[in-house]
Amino acid sequence: MLPDRSGLSTRDSHAEQLDWAESELSGDQLLELDTQPIRGHSYWSLALRRLYRKKLAMVCISIIAFMYVGSLLSPLITPYDFRAVDLQNTRQGPSLAHPFGTDRQGRDMLTRVIFGVRTTVIITITSLLGGTLVLGVVMGLMSGYMGRWVDAVIMRTGEVTSSFPEILLLLIFVSAFRPRLLTAVQAFEDATGLDWIIRLGVLDFMIISVGLAIFGWFGMARLVRGQVLQARESQYIEAALVTGASTAHILRVHMLRNILSPLIVSVSAGLAGVAGAELVLSWIGVGVFPPTPSLGRMLFENGSPQVLLNHPHLILFPIGAVTLLFFCFNILGDAVNDAFNPRTR
Amino acid sequence: MGVYVIRRLIWLPFLVVIVTFITFAMLRLGPGDPVQIWLGQHQNDEVRERIRAKLGLDDPLFIQYARYMEGVITRLDFGESFKFRGKSVREVIGTRILVSMQLNLAAVIITLGVGIPVGLLAALRQGTGWDNLIVSIALAFQSLPVFITAPVMLLVFALHLDVLPTSGWGGFFSPKIIMPAIVMGVPGIAIVVRLVRASVLDVLGQEYVRTARAKGLPELTVRYRHILRNALIPVTTSFGFILAGLAGGTFIVEIYFGIPGVGRLSLEALNARDYPVLMGFAIIATTFFVLANLIVDLMYPWLDPRIRLGAGHVA
Amino acid sequence: MVLASFRLLILPAMLSLLVLVLACGGGSPPETETSPAATEPTPTLPARAAAAPTATQSAGDAGTSAATPAQAPTRESVPGQPSTSGAVPTVAPLAAPAAGENCAPSADLTFDNRPPQGGTLVRLYADPPSIDPHLVSDATSSVITNEVFGGLVTLSLDYQPVLDLAESCSVSDDGLTYTFVLRENASFQDGSPVTAQDVKWSIERAADPDTLSTTAETYLGDIVGVKDKLCTEEAQGAGECTIADEVRGVQVIDDRTIEFTLDAPKAYFLAKLSYPTAYVLDQDQVTEDGSWLDRPNGTGPFRLAQYDIGELLILEKNEHYHLGPPHIDSVHMILSGGTAMIMYENDEIHLTGVGTDDLPRLLDPNDPLNPQLHRSAQDFSVFYIGLNVNDPPFDDPKVRQAMNYAIDLSGIAENVLDNRVSQATGVIPPGFPSYNENLRGYTFNPDLARELLESSTYADALASGDFPRITLTISGSFGATVPTYLEVMLEQWRALGIEIDIQQTEWATFLQDVNDKKYQMFSHGWIADYPDPENFLDLLFHGESQNNHTSYSNPEVNRLLEEARTERDRDRRFEIYNQVEQMVLDDAPWVWTWYRGEGYALIKPEVSDYFLLQMSIPKYRYIYFNK
Repeated sequence: MLPDRSGLSTRDSHAEQLDWAESELSGDQLLELDTQPIRGHSYWSLALRRLYRKKLAMVCISIIAFMYVGSLLSPLITPYDFRAVDLQNTRQGPSLAHPFGTDRQGRDMLTRVIFGVRTTVIITITSLLGGTLVLGVVMGLMSGYMGRWVDAVIMRTGEVTSSFPEILLLLIFVSAFRPRLLTAVQAFEDATGLDWIIRLGVLDFMIISVGLAIFGWFGMARLVRGQVLQARESQYIEAALVTGASTAHILRVHMLRNILSPLIVSVSAGLAGVAGAELVLSWIGVGVFPPTPSLGRMLFENGSPQVLLNHPHLILFPIGAVTLLFFCFNILGDAVNDAFNPRTR
Repeated sequence: MGVYVIRRLIWLPFLVVIVTFITFAMLRLGPGDPVQIWLGQHQNDEVRERIRAKLGLDDPLFIQYARYMEGVITRLDFGESFKFRGKSVREVIGTRILVSMQLNLAAVIITLGVGIPVGLLAALRQGTGWDNLIVSIALAFQSLPVFITAPVMLLVFALHLDVLPTSGWGGFFSPKIIMPAIVMGVPGIAIVVRLVRASVLDVLGQEYVRTARAKGLPELTVRYRHILRNALIPVTTSFGFILAGLAGGTFIVEIYFGIPGVGRLSLEALNARDYPVLMGFAIIATTFFVLANLIVDLMYPWLDPRIRLGAGHVA
Repeated sequence: MVLASFRLLILPAMLSLLVLVLACGGGSPPETETSPAATEPTPTLPARAAAAPTATQSAGDAGTSAATPAQAPTRESVPGQPSTSGAVPTVAPLAAPAAGENCAPSADLTFDNRPPQGGTLVRLYADPPSIDPHLVSDATSSVITNEVFGGLVTLSLDYQPVLDLAESCSVSDDGLTYTFVLRENASFQDGSPVTAQDVKWSIERAADPDTLSTTAETYLGDIVGVKDKLCTEEAQGAGECTIADEVRGVQVIDDRTIEFTLDAPKAYFLAKLSYPTAYVLDQDQVTEDGSWLDRPNGTGPFRLAQYDIGELLILEKNEHYHLGPPHIDSVHMILSGGTAMIMYENDEIHLTGVGTDDLPRLLDPNDPLNPQLHRSAQDFSVFYIGLNVNDPPFDDPKVRQAMNYAIDLSGIAENVLDNRVSQATGVIPPGFPSYNENLRGYTFNPDLARELLESSTYADALASGDFPRITLTISGSFGATVPTYLEVMLEQWRALGIEIDIQQTEWATFLQDVNDKKYQMFSHGWIADYPDPENFLDLLFHGESQNNHTSYSNPEVNRLLEEARTERDRDRRFEIYNQVEQMVLDDAPWVWTWYRGEGYALIKPEVSDYFLLQMSIPKYRYIYFNK
C-alpha cells in the first residue's frame, strides 16, 4: 500500500471510519463552542494556547521552520556547487573542507544534504497543493451536501478507486503520462525561459499528486462528508437556508469552516508522510532525478551494512536529516492533534 | 441495518469485477509487453507478433478478460505465469502469501507485545515526565527509516555477535524470523502506545473504574481487570488494520533479509509484466480489502452505537 | 470517544507505513545498489534486470562472469593491486571448419585425476525465468539449463565450440551440410540413450510455433526448413513461408547419425548450436508428463533435484554423465536473496560478488579475506549510450564525436568505480574473436571536444543558448538508481555547455520505447550470445537490424556486413569486421562507455576450480572441495 502523502487516510477502511467517528466528535466540539458567547475565536485561540504549552512541540516547530527557511536559502549558504564533482576526492570522510565528507563522485555531502532537504521541502509544498486534498474536499462537500444520487455515485466511485492495488496502477499511470508531459513541459520551459520545473522534480510530483489523488481522494472525501452531514442538521445551516443564502455560500462559509479543524490535524500529522513520499517515489523510479540531490536517493543508494561499515558518513548524515525531520513532523502532528482535540488528552 | 447489509453484499461482486477489470485493462493497455521482455536483447517484431497471437494477447480486451475470469471462477485457474514460464500462478503465489502472512503476524506480535504495556505505563504516569518521554521515544523509533535499522541489526546481531542467522526463511518458529519481525514491528509501536494510552485514559475516567476503586479493590485488580481489559477493545479492532498496513511495507524487509514473500514477488512480476500473477494478486487483494471493509463497517456500530449505518442518506 | 482517539493514531500509522514502504523501495539491496558496475540492471538481459532488486545479482553473477585464463585450472588470485591486463584469456578465433576433418574437438572429460569427491556448493542466485532450454533467452536461466541439459555442441572454457553429445562431426565441401555422430554413451539422466531421433525431435520442438520460443529464429534459423516450421497461417498467407510439420534440414541417418543442412555456409553455425535452444530433450517425458519441468530428464552433468520458486534450487550430480560425473554432490542455489557479503562472512555461502564499498578493504593485503578475492575479466559485453542520429543535435557527427571526447572514462573508472569496469575502446570486448587493439577510439580530450562543437552546425546555437534539448533515458526497475558514473558524465558534458535531463523508465517500458526508436539518447548494452563478431557488429549496426536502436545506417557499413556474413575465409572475415568497427567508431552513433562484468568475486579457499568466465558455460562439474 502506498502511504498517502498528505496523511489524509486513503484506502484503509479503519482510517475512514475513524475519521468519520472522530469528525463527529469534533463536530460536537464545534457546536459546543458555537454556543459560547465569544464563538469560534475562542476555539482557535484555545487550541493555539494548548499548542504553545508543549515545549517539545515548539522546539520541533522551530527546527522545522529552520530547516524550511535554511533549505530555501540553500544556494546562499552552501559552501560548494552541489553538482561539482571532484574525481580526486571521492568518498572522503568528514574533514574541515568537507564537514560531512564527500560522496561517491567527490561532491560535498553537506551541500548535498542541504539541497536534499530543499527538495523535500519543495515536495511537501507541491504535494499538499496537489490533488488529494482538493479533490477530497470538493467531492466530500458535494457528496454530503447534495445527498441522494450524487452521494451514491461519489461514494460508489470512491469505493472502486480505493480498492485498487495503487502502486501498480500508479506506476503504469506515470510511465504512460510522464514522457508526454515531459515533452510538453520542455516546450513550456523553452517558451517561458523557466528552467527549474523539471530539474526540481516539480513535474514529477505534480504527476504523482494527480495519480495519488485519483486513487486516494476517498479517505478525505468521507471525512468531509461525515462532517457535512453533521453540520447539515445543525441549526445554523437551517437558519442560513431560511435567510436565503446560496448553496455555494453555505458550503463555503459554514461547512468549510467546520471541517477546518480536522483538516489541520490531518495535514500536520501527515507532513512526515509527505516528506517520506519522496523516498517512495524514488523507489517507483519517478522521483527527483540526478543531479538534483534527493535524500530519498541518498538513503536508497547507501542503506546497506556495507556502506555503514566502510563509508558510514554516506548514510549517517542523510539519515540524520531525515530522521530529525520525520521526528519533528511526528511530534508536531501529535501535538496539534492534542491541541485541537483536547478530550483525548 | 438489514437492508444496508444486503445492499453491501450485492454491491460486493460488482466492485470486485469493476476493480479487476480496470486493473486488467490498465495492465494490458499500459506500456510494456511481456513478450518483449522474453525477447530481451533480441527484439524481433515478427517473433513478437507470432507469440502474442499464440498467447491470445491480441484479442479484444473483453474477450481476454472473460476468458480469464471464466478460468478463475469455474476452475480456480489463475493461468500460467509469464515470468516463471511453465509454472502456474497458484504455484507461484501460494507459498509466498503464507510466508508474508506469518512474517506480518510475527511483526504484529512485537508491535502489540511492546506497545500495550508501554502504552499502559504511559497512561498511568500521565502528565509526568515519564509520559512524555515514553511517547517521544516511541515516536523517535517510528521516525527511523528501515534503511538504517535493518543494516544496523544485520551488522550487530548477524556479523558481530553472530547470534542470529542473516537471512532466509525457516517458518514461524525459526530464529530467522526474529530480525525481520523486529524491523517491521518496531515503527508501529508508537501507534499502539498512543492508542492504548488514549483509551486507558478514557477508561480511567469511566464510572466503573471509580466505583471499583471506591469499593476498595486492590489497585492491581483494578488495573488489569477493569482498565486494561476495557481499554484493549479498540486495540483488538486495530489488529487487522495494523496487519493490513504491514502487508504493504514488507518489500524492503524481504529484500534485506532474503525472505520469499509477496512483496518481492509482486515487484518482480510487475517488472516482467507478468499479467497472470499480477491479476492473481489484484483479485486476492481486492477481495480481501472489500471483505475487510465490510466487516469493519459492520463492527463499528456494534462498538459505537452512535454511528448509524447508512447515515449518509439524509433526506 | 475511544474511537476518536484512534484517528490520531492512523495518521502517524501512515507515516510508519511510509517508512516501511520506503523501505520497499529498497528494491535493491545493498551491494547491488552501490556498485554501479555490477549492479545497475543490465539493460540487455531482462532476467538480470529483474533480478537486480534481489541482491542476488552481484552474488549471482560471480558465476557468469569471467576471469581466468581458461585452460589453467588455477585461478588468478589478486593480492593487493589487481592487474587488468593479462587476466583476459586469448581466444583463438572461431575457425571456419575445413571440409573433411572433424569440425570441432571434443569437450574435456571431467578431470579424472580424482580430486576429493563430494560436498555441496552453496551460493546465492536468482530465479531463472525458465528451465525449459528452448525458451531460455537470458543469462540467468542459461546457467541452470547449461548444467541440467546439453546438446550436440557446447563451448569449452576458452569459448570454442566443442562436441558434447556428439563424438564426431564433419562438414561438406560447400559448407552447407554438417553430419554429427552421437557418442555411444550419450544418455539422459535416467540412463536411457540419446538417439538421433531425439535430436531431430528437439530441434523441431524448439521451432514449433506452439512452443513459444523467442530464440528459435536467431539460433536455428540457418537450418533449412526451420523458417517453414515456425510459419504461421498469417505468414503463409503473406507468402513468406510454407507451413511444414518437420524441419527438412535435419535428417536422421541412423540411430547415432544426424545431418544438418544450412541455407548458406555460416561460419558461426556451430557456435549458435551451443545455445540452449538447440539442447536435446527427452521426447517421451516432455510429451507425456505435463509437469516434466519439475524434474526434467536432461543430459547435463547435474539434474534438477528441487526447485521452490523464490526459495531454493538444488542441482544433484548425474552419475551417468557422458563426460564423467561431477566431483561435487550438489549445488544449492539460494533464491530468496539476502545480504550477500554478510552471508559470506558468516560462512553461509561459498562465493559472492564484491560491492564497491567493500573493495578497498578487501584489496588491502592485510585483510583476512584478501586471499579469497579474485579478479575477473569483463564479460563479453559492451555498454554504451546510444545517440539517435536523426535527432538534433545528434544528426551532426561532430556533436556525437564531441560527446565522446568530453568524458573522462578512465578517471571515472578509477575513482568512482574502483576499476571494476574498463573503458570500452570499441565495440568488440577484449578476448573476443576479432578483438582489435589497434582501433582508433576516443580518449578524454575536452579541448578537442570543444573544437568539434565549435565547428559543428550547432556552434551558433550553442553560443546563443538555443542548443537543442537533450533527454537521456535510462532503464531501471524498482529500486534501481541512476548509476554514479552517469552523474559525473553529465557534469563533464555540462562543462562543454551541454545540459542534459535524465529520465528513468522501468525496464518493460524502456524495451518497448527503445525498440520503437523513441529515445533521443539512451543508456543500453549488449551481451554476446555466441563468440562471433557478427553477434556484435551485424546485429547492432546494420541499418536493417532490429537491434540497431540509433537509426544509424551507413551504406558502406551495411555492404561490408553483408559481405562478411557469407565470407568463409576467417582472416578475411575478421578483417572486414575490424574495418566496420573502425568506421562505426568514426561515425560515433554511440558514446562508448564500459566493458564490464563481475569485476571481483570472493570464493572460499576450500572451493577449487570455480572458474570465473566471460560467458555462461557448463562449469560446475569442474568444481571440487580441497578439504
